[in-house]
Amino acid sequence: MNITGLEALVFGVDDMTACTQYLSDYGLAPINVGPEGGRFEALDGTAIILARQDDASLPAGTGTASMLRKTIHAVADSASLEAIAANLATDREVRRLQDGSIESVDDMGFAIGFQVSLRKPLALPAEAINAPDVAGRPANVPAVDEQAPAKPRALSHVVYFVPDAAKAEAFYVQRLGFVCTDRFVGVGPFLRPAGSQDHHTLFFIQTPPHMKGCEHFTFHMGGPTELMQAGSRFVAKGYQSFWGPGRHRFGSNWFWYFNSPLGCHVEYDADMDRHDETWVAREAPMGADASQLFLFQHREKWAPGGPPPKAVAA
Amino acid sequence: MNLPAAHGTWLCQLAALPDGAARGFDPAGTGSDSLFLVRRGDEVHAWLDACPHMQGAAMAWRKDAYLSGDGRYIVCHAHGARFDIRSGLCLLGPCEGDSLTPVPIHIDATGAIHLAIEPF
Repeated sequence: MNITGLEALVFGVDDMTACTQYLSDYGLAPINVGPEGGRFEALDGTAIILARQDDASLPAGTGTASMLRKTIHAVADSASLEAIAANLATDREVRRLQDGSIESVDDMGFAIGFQVSLRKPLALPAEAINAPDVAGRPANVPAVDEQAPAKPRALSHVVYFVPDAAKAEAFYVQRLGFVCTDRFVGVGPFLRPAGSQDHHTLFFIQTPPHMKGCEHFTFHMGGPTELMQAGSRFVAKGYQSFWGPGRHRFGSNWFWYFNSPLGCHVEYDADMDRHDETWVAREAPMGADASQLFLFQHREKWAPGGPPPKAVAA
Repeated sequence: MNLPAAHGTWLCQLAALPDGAARGFDPAGTGSDSLFLVRRGDEVHAWLDACPHMQGAAMAWRKDAYLSGDGRYIVCHAHGARFDIRSGLCLLGPCEGDSLTPVPIHIDATGAIHLAIEPF
């Protein structure tokens, strides 16, 4: 089950104009986008795909406020795709789509797809930093570039609200070869697929059934500075920050979450930990303190103020 | 600006709020909107900009973007919860059955919309 990461997420939305504007301003490149939707790509070609809520070609929704209609996982090759198809076909329908991908459902009822990855490997450097006696950057290379593109590089992870986290985890671990890297007790696991070292491409949060759906998705940035730049530009355009910027404990990824018209939060993340099979999963109770190593809160105004009395008098 | 103090903090004129529109306000000058108005014909509904499912969670996805695409519902753009514009009741979403918190306002004869309580 050589799943290498996420390839795309498909949303069925009710406000195409708003979602198109949002994803474009977030930094994804619109590809063949029109009134019926289209593709919004990160630099490596992984994507958010928008369609209209009533598009008959979409898998059924979750019956909740969530607009996520399908999660497409990337696989390394056609042998991996066939192995997954054969495994899933033992107890559920597996549909073959025209683009060569397969489509089915997980044990929570979320639509899942698998396709041989079309991801373009990136040759971009990660953010480099200097420290005493360590030259991360060559001399005469300034770290700050106000004009830096700071574009999302790759689809990172998606987080589901699930009514039964243990059952959801069992499906992804036993049937698809995911590995638990860390766990919030009583909440759910962080899962990485066998073909990726990223701390997680999936995270589950146990909730009542009426919340089933997508909590957030996020794309990897080139480093914390790109995350700060992209997030600051997003705020400057009037978008609503929800949480961040900050740095998570589990996964060590920097984060900045925003509200969105896609029925879920949308995040920028950077510098996530990588793990291999020697890693032993940690456990902790979930809470803001356990989730964040530190947090900066964007504030327009940090103290009451006004012109000095003299200025008012003048 | 000369505000009619008896009526509390002035928010805007009714004429400046188009029918079907929503708008956020920051009467205490905290740097982020704490309440919003939605106009439906001659009715103006005022609600705290705080989703009942998570304390203090701001609801718009962008400045003044509080409504669904078709303008029929208030939406919390954290997780897509939908609320009835008139009653504030959550019809779909994480806080189904809960309600938004109403904000008392007063509209005077000139169409000036005022906060009927202290700014927050």
